Formats: sequence, C-alpha cells, structure tokens
Amino acid sequence: MYGIYGIRYEEGKMGLILEVKNLTKKFGGLTAVNDVNFEVHRGEILGLIGPNGAGKTTLFQLISGFEKPNSGSVRFNGVDITGKRPCQIVNLGLARTFQLVRSFRFLSLLDNISVACLSPRGREAFGEVGIDAAASSILASVGLVDKARLPPVILPHGDLRKLEIGKALGTNPEFLLLDEPFSGLAHEESAGITRLIEQLHEEGVTVFMTGHVLRELMTLVPRVIAMHQGRLIAEGPPKEVASNKIVLEAYLGRGEGFA
Amino acid sequence: MMKLQFDWRSRLSRFRVWALSFRGGITLLCLVGLLLVPLTGREYLARIVITAMILTIFAASWDLLAGFAGQVSFGHAAFFGISGYVTAAFVKFVGAPWFLAIFIGTGWAVVFSLLIGIPCLRLKGPYLALGTLAFALILYNLFLTGTWLGGTEGISALPNIGSVFVEFYIMAAFMVASLIIMRAIVDSRLGTILKAIRDDEVGADAAGINTTVYKLVAFMVSGLFAGISGGLFVLDITAVNPAVYQPLYSFYAIIMASIGGIATIYGSIVGSFLFTLLSEFLRPLAAASLLIFATLLILIIRFSEEGVMNPFLEHVRDLWDKIRGR
Repeated sequence: MYGIYGIRYEEGKMGLILEVKNLTKKFGGLTAVNDVNFEVHRGEILGLIGPNGAGKTTLFQLISGFEKPNSGSVRFNGVDITGKRPCQIVNLGLARTFQLVRSFRFLSLLDNISVACLSPRGREAFGEVGIDAAASSILASVGLVDKARLPPVILPHGDLRKLEIGKALGTNPEFLLLDEPFSGLAHEESAGITRLIEQLHEEGVTVFMTGHVLRELMTLVPRVIAMHQGRLIAEGPPKEVASNKIVLEAYLGRGEGFA
Repeated sequence: MMKLQFDWRSRLSRFRVWALSFRGGITLLCLVGLLLVPLTGREYLARIVITAMILTIFAASWDLLAGFAGQVSFGHAAFFGISGYVTAAFVKFVGAPWFLAIFIGTGWAVVFSLLIGIPCLRLKGPYLALGTLAFALILYNLFLTGTWLGGTEGISALPNIGSVFVEFYIMAAFMVASLIIMRAIVDSRLGTILKAIRDDEVGADAAGINTTVYKLVAFMVSGLFAGISGGLFVLDITAVNPAVYQPLYSFYAIIMASIGGIATIYGSIVGSFLFTLLSEFLRPLAAASLLIFATLLILIIRFSEEGVMNPFLEHVRDLWDKIRGR
C-alpha cells in the first residue's frame, strides 16, 4: 500500500529498525563518537540533541555510510550496514538530509528530485515511467510544486531545506535521518517542516532527527537521546532530558568551572 | 511497454514545427550549407571541413565527460590515439575494411576508457586532470620508444576510403549521428544522473545513485565517441604516428569545446569549425598565427565564458525578431 507521497507503508512490521552498538569514531586524537549504543523502534520519531561539537553529525555520517567507524556496528532492519557505501544504504531504505543544504545546482527542482527517484529503490517504487509523476508529487508534498522548473540557486534557504527533504523522499525511504532540519529557518518555516515530518510519520516513516535547540524538537518528538563529547549522556521524554542535570551541564558548562 | 508504432503523420508535423522554429531552422540551414560544400568542387575546402567534422566528434566527446559528468580529462588523446592506431593496424596488417577496423578501434578505446577510468575514479578536479594526462603520456612514450606498430614512424600509406567527396559525406554522416546520439544521451535520464554527479557528487550518493558506476559509464561513452573520431581521423590522413597521443590533441578537444560552449554538445561544432578553419587560414602567417590564435582564445574566454555559440545564437535571434517585427 502506498501513502499520499507514494511511500510504501509497511504494515504490521514492528520492532527495531536501527540498532547501533559500541559505535566509535576517532579523528586523530579526537574521539568524535565514543562507544555509542542505542536503538530506534519502527515508526517512531527519535530526537538527538547535544551542544555544538557533541558528535551528532558524525554519528549521522557513520549511520549513513559517509564515514567508516573505527569499531562498533550499525544494523538496519536486521542487516549489518557497517562499512557499506552511502548509495547502498540509501537503497536499503535509509535516507538522510544534510545540515548544510546540498542541491544539484544546474538541474531544475523537478530534476533534483528525479535523480533520487532514479535510484534503484526509487525506480522499484515508482516504476520507470512514473519518475516524473512521482517527482512532482513529492515536490507538491514539500510545497515546492509551483517552482518545479526553477534551479535551486535562486531559492531562499527555507525552500532549500524542503528540497533537501524532498530529495530524500525520492528514494522511497523507510527511515529518515534529518540533520538539523530547522537550522536557519524562521518560525513559520519551521512549522511547515514540522507538519511535513508529522505527515511522513503518519505514513509510517521512521524519523531520527537532530537539533541543537531543544525547543524545536519538544513538540514533535516523544523520545530524545542526548549526546555530549561523543558519548550518549541521557535518554527519555524531552521534558525529562531537558531538566536532566548532566544535560544542562553539557549545554551550559559546569558551574564550578567558571567560579 | 511503450508503443512502438511509427506515426508518420505526427512525426512529420512535429518535424515541421521544429524546422520552422528558430533552432530547427538554423540547424537545417547549417546542415544544408555543410552538405553543399563538396558541390563547390573545391577539394581543399572539403578537406579542411572533413578535419573539422572529425574534430567536432572529438570535442563533443570531451564535452560529454567534462561538461556533463564533471570529469575533466586532460588525456583524451589516449582514447583518440588508441583507436587511431588499432584502426590503422587492422586496415594495414589485417586488411580489414575501414568500417570494421573503426569498429574494433572504437572497442579498444572503450576498453582503455575503463582502464583509465577505474584508477582515476577516486581523483577529483585537478588531480583527475593530471591522472588522465599521465595516462596519455604513458601511451605516447610507449608508442614512441616501442618498436611495434611502426615505432616512431607509426603506420602510413593506408588506402583511401574513397574520393574526397565520398569521404566528405561519410564523415558528415558520422558527425551528425554522433552528435545526435550524444545530445540524446545528455538529455536522457542517464544525462540527468550525470549532471547530478557533476553538480554534487556527495548529494548524488545520498540520493542512492551509485556514482562509481555512472562515472565509469560516462568515461566509456566519452571514450567511445573519442575512439570513433580517432579512427576517422587516421582514415582521413591515411597515417598515424605516436604524435596523436600528445597532450596537444587533448588540449585541442578542450579548446574547441570551450570556444563553442561547455555542456552544450552542439557547441563543439562551432568550436571545432572556428578552430580548424582559423588555424588553416592563419597558417601562412607561421609563428604570428599562434599569436593571433592565442589572443583570440583569451578574448573568447574572457568575454564569453559560456562559449560563442549560445550568445551568438541569441543575437541572431534578436535580429531575426527585429526583421520580422518590421
């Protein structure tokens, strides 16, 4: 069965979709991700918070295959994806967006999405002839359909954020990694993205997203994990985590340190 | 399944619309002008135009790889040369007919494009350019110092493929077919994927595109057309020597594609005709011709970054609109 975005809705398949075990990544002397363990349940929205430099983006890079971990493993749908290439992971159904928006500069917005629909997983979902229709329906769902023929270079930042999500949707993902989807957005634009994520969630897409400002995630996410200096330091409902002493120290610094 | 019915009536009416459009009209005009060249009876002019047509395919093949897939090669002479050599060898030593020889030569060019493409996959930007340049130089030196296939002398005295006028129409057919196929490729889904890799390789990977595979496909398609032009070039001058591997030939392709306009395919026609005709007519000036040529090149690059074809066509179009509006 397909939802309004043409994304396959997996019914009755519960359990874990992502298992991260003892994941460690070192850059020279710096351990950016240090022995991280967590699980994501199918169909949930999980938030990842932490101050700048906590290792959130590195963790995403490791899960999506853009960086290889020094040790540890990542399992997606029961399949070990550690060390697989990004395009292989995407074609298993795990798509991501980037904190710094990326786009194919000289292609129209429609073609930007078509590229993702032309991936093996996209072709499988939309069929060879349905690519254009699928791309424009995705463009419509992220609210950019009236700009389909424009190149991304002339778009405002908020639209590029939507395009970023649209490109990930083109690969027909089961699981979305959203790296700072709200960064640089005004309040109304953030609300639009929030609605979009909620809609995707209703269709059965599992979402794992970061944000360094907790407030944006509060309304959207029932469970968050917090990271600091490469380690997971807390886990739970956003309200609890936000009032956690260790998390507050991570964000604000240790009181006695400045005394 | 798509309908494979051939509806002549709708084809014909679509052709009419295209022919009456600005681009279609210009294209047809140029094509008719080109085909009339041999009828002037000037063999010398026909010879120059033949060279220009062959180099057009070569320049367009570079444009496909660099302009559309973003893989800037400085060693395109490798594909050009290997196909030229193999074509010449099959004609000379095996006695194969020229069309079979060129087929085999092109096959070798495709194999070499894989051989060069695979180790160069991890290289980007200037490093890729240097890597491809090195491959062409290795071939140049291998053929220069080796004693096989004629050594320094190369292979000469190949039979002509026909009178100059027959040859002209054969080359014209090859050029038109090659350009139409290349343009169709860059306008296809494959072209969209190649352009995406050019614009943002990481982004293409994140969109589930196996960039390795598609970059190799781009190398192979480009090598194929460079191979066709290399084979035709050797058949035209009826000889080949290690000089075809020189970096000079790689740069010819780059210069011609840049003059015409990168990422256009058809710009290569303008670029290579300008280049070939100009260097021919400036030949009597000897060293001064180089000076004029270099100056012109700098001016074109300085004032028309996107090449001369598209800006020129826009001016002609404005003029045309004015004339019609009068």
